[in-house]
Amino acid sequence: MSETLFAQYFNEESRPLDFYLKKMGGYTASKKALSMNQDDIIGEMKKSNMRGRGGAGFPTGMKWGFIPKQSAKAKYLVCNADESEPGTFKDRDIMRYTPHLLIEGMVIGAYAIGANHGYIYIRGEYTREAKLLDQAIQEAYDAGCLGKNIHGTGFSFDLTVHRGAGAYICGEETGLLNSLEGKRGEPRVKPPFPAQAGAFGGPTIVNNVETLAAVPYIINRGGEWFSNLGKLEKSGGTRLFCVSGHVKKPGVYELPAGSVTLRQLIYDHCHGILGDKKLKAVIPGGSSAPVLTADEIDVVADIEPLMKIGTMLGSAAIVVVSEDYCVVKLLARITRFYAHESCGQCTPCREGCKWMEDIIERIEHGHGREEDLAMLLDISNNIAGKTLCALGDAAAGPVMSFVKKFRADFEAHIRGGKCPSA
Amino acid sequence: MPKCIIDGREVEFTPGQNLIEVAKSAGIDIPLFCYHPGLSVVAQCRMCAVEIEKMPKLQTACSTMATEGMVVKTKSEKTKENQESVMEFLLANHPLDCPVCDKSGECDLQDNSYKHGSSYSRYTEERRTYLDLDMGPVIKKNMNRCIHCTRCIRFGNEIAGLREMVALKRGNNTEITTIDGRPLETDYAGNYSDICPTGSLTLKDFRFKKRAWYLTKVPTICEGCSKGCNMEIQQDNDQIYRCVPRENLEINRHWLCDEGRFNFHYVEREDRLVDPARAKSSGIEICDWGTSIDAAKATLEGQRVAILLGSDLTQEEASSVLQFKAQHYADSPIFHFGTPGIVSSKDDGPEDRILKQKSKTSNLNGMEKLGIPGFERLPAEITAALVIRGGRAVLPPEIDGIEKVGIGVFMKDQAMMFSAILPGLSFAEKDGTILNYEGRAQKLKRAVQAPGQSKSLSEILMIWTNRKNSHGVA
Repeated sequence: MSETLFAQYFNEESRPLDFYLKKMGGYTASKKALSMNQDDIIGEMKKSNMRGRGGAGFPTGMKWGFIPKQSAKAKYLVCNADESEPGTFKDRDIMRYTPHLLIEGMVIGAYAIGANHGYIYIRGEYTREAKLLDQAIQEAYDAGCLGKNIHGTGFSFDLTVHRGAGAYICGEETGLLNSLEGKRGEPRVKPPFPAQAGAFGGPTIVNNVETLAAVPYIINRGGEWFSNLGKLEKSGGTRLFCVSGHVKKPGVYELPAGSVTLRQLIYDHCHGILGDKKLKAVIPGGSSAPVLTADEIDVVADIEPLMKIGTMLGSAAIVVVSEDYCVVKLLARITRFYAHESCGQCTPCREGCKWMEDIIERIEHGHGREEDLAMLLDISNNIAGKTLCALGDAAAGPVMSFVKKFRADFEAHIRGGKCPSA
Repeated sequence: MPKCIIDGREVEFTPGQNLIEVAKSAGIDIPLFCYHPGLSVVAQCRMCAVEIEKMPKLQTACSTMATEGMVVKTKSEKTKENQESVMEFLLANHPLDCPVCDKSGECDLQDNSYKHGSSYSRYTEERRTYLDLDMGPVIKKNMNRCIHCTRCIRFGNEIAGLREMVALKRGNNTEITTIDGRPLETDYAGNYSDICPTGSLTLKDFRFKKRAWYLTKVPTICEGCSKGCNMEIQQDNDQIYRCVPRENLEINRHWLCDEGRFNFHYVEREDRLVDPARAKSSGIEICDWGTSIDAAKATLEGQRVAILLGSDLTQEEASSVLQFKAQHYADSPIFHFGTPGIVSSKDDGPEDRILKQKSKTSNLNGMEKLGIPGFERLPAEITAALVIRGGRAVLPPEIDGIEKVGIGVFMKDQAMMFSAILPGLSFAEKDGTILNYEGRAQKLKRAVQAPGQSKSLSEILMIWTNRKNSHGVA
């Protein structure tokens, strides 16, 4: 396997500061960055073709460039460690094994945008990781890598770990900011975007863990080097794929961006389907990504190629489903999740997600009606693109794709009055 | 001024105006639920989403500012489809109990349903229901009707300054309620009912009293304090059913306090004296106008009379009293009275951070403009008083011990202290001008007929002047 940025350090020994300093060139990048011009850092990020690893894939350098130079209110850098998209578990490994990469990345990012305070908003369920992060932050403070006058450069940056309470919607960046401020975790109307008015009203950048943890590499080795790691034009670096479901070897796989197809990931890296069964479906980007059938997996697992076939890479969480699992049951489970996690603010999501859940559960239990499928498509279409935040799309995408691509399974449930495999 | 194009028409706008306001200025109504011009913008209901050229998705008109050259379509297929779909979503869990709902006839949900919804529902799942707790004396809550627009939450936070309405739970189960189900605390609670776009928050005071479409709406001014809030009296068949705020962005914006809103009840109190009367040893006796005016004149005859004028009277009424005084009581001192402790406008000022003023009468400023001094104490030589007031000025206790004649609005227990009562009109029964705390002249408008035998002040003073007394002198 080629050199990896993260995966080779995914073990307990790499966690301490000592290892980070001696074996990983720790905090050399922040030393270098703090002597650089801030525009040059953002320039390097732009060159790196780093695209946000949280799900939306927005170019990180461009995002940092949106921060106003002058601001009457304090600026903030926030790390989104909520990792709430079902199927995603890559950021956990970074926080667990290489927390200092994240901390150093945040020091550099904060310096680049002019923030003196940062937050790591961590998923409530990640109790152990929150503790480990706190320890690592303390180590960094003690070593002068964080806090006042970092590396004697005069730049100060404080970092706080803030634990969420387990809401999916707090992974949406403005919902996260509300939660961080102690308010209800509900997304805000945009504009203003966080870069204009984010945490506590100040200009704020929200980045994913994997995004920020790659920053020290980009500064040390250059944006161009990072960009060249990726095999596609607009997508630099490596990617952490989280493969779960019915594969023989599930887990986190780090591969150059744009270098593998879904088929290669599933059959070569993960050694195929459990029990050598047939593949039924693949969800390529976390549970909100539209589903793919077994004949659609010869596609490069990256942003543009997946978008072209109507789905998305999202958080690169690949959920593999074998032939003997009921896709109606799967969709019912996914839809129940989104109905449960809807914040309830906006009409289509609040009313529509629960309605879809009710219908799909009826179908799953054999109480479906002929008109249900057309109605499901209609409801999901009335939600998609019409909600305040992306949760509506997240709920609608799976419904549309499952019903369209596995229509026969749904019809079998409706006509047979029960699950055919039950 | 910059221009944008809405439904093919060029419309001028002020930078910073949202599309709802810009469209409204051109006479184009964009349907909405959660937007309210007096509250922050949350873009939650999604009803106002419109199509904008060069934007792939529909944009909510409430949260989108107009820009030069923007091309907006409020009636395109895409826009209409969304409106229909939002209506379907909102009505999925709505009880559709319009026949027994007080909001019916003035309900945004009902109106938009007629305009943009379908008469057929595809929803067959079990409906969401809630239990409601009592919200105190002003508001009746019916959560099943709620469409989660959060106007009430925002009103509490942003206007009333109380975080009392909140959203509990999440998603489809979201419940809009008070913290721990406590009763409402704000003394502006009536506004919750005004801004609620459905029948979820209705006024207990108005509930089941009258269908909205029977009400005649008369624009007038609140007489509850010197603020001069613009409001509407809504009546049917000369009975007032409620008062609601009228928008005036320079005074009360969109709001009304509960004190002002429910002030009208005295107008219709059963113990209001609406017939002329005079004192008898056994109490008061209803009589005809001539008898009571004779009694009034006899009471003041030969006395050193002070004239006390309620600062709840209009400019026109006060002027006619000044003329009357010049003719009949030229040497008498005249004072205005209204609120204990408030002698002049120097004593007036804001009572809270929202609307209320300390002066609990509406025309303190006008009395001063006419040169009438505020009442502090009776001059020593005074032996009798002519007290003229509307329904709000508080009678000063200093007049207890002397002979008195009352003109205006009195309840029976108040009438007991007068030798003669000539019943006048309340603010709801007359036209006139009042000057608010900042000197702004505004018009009261008659909303209901004078009750019983009560008459306008000018008419009473005219009868007084023209009636020959026992000596045959006018």
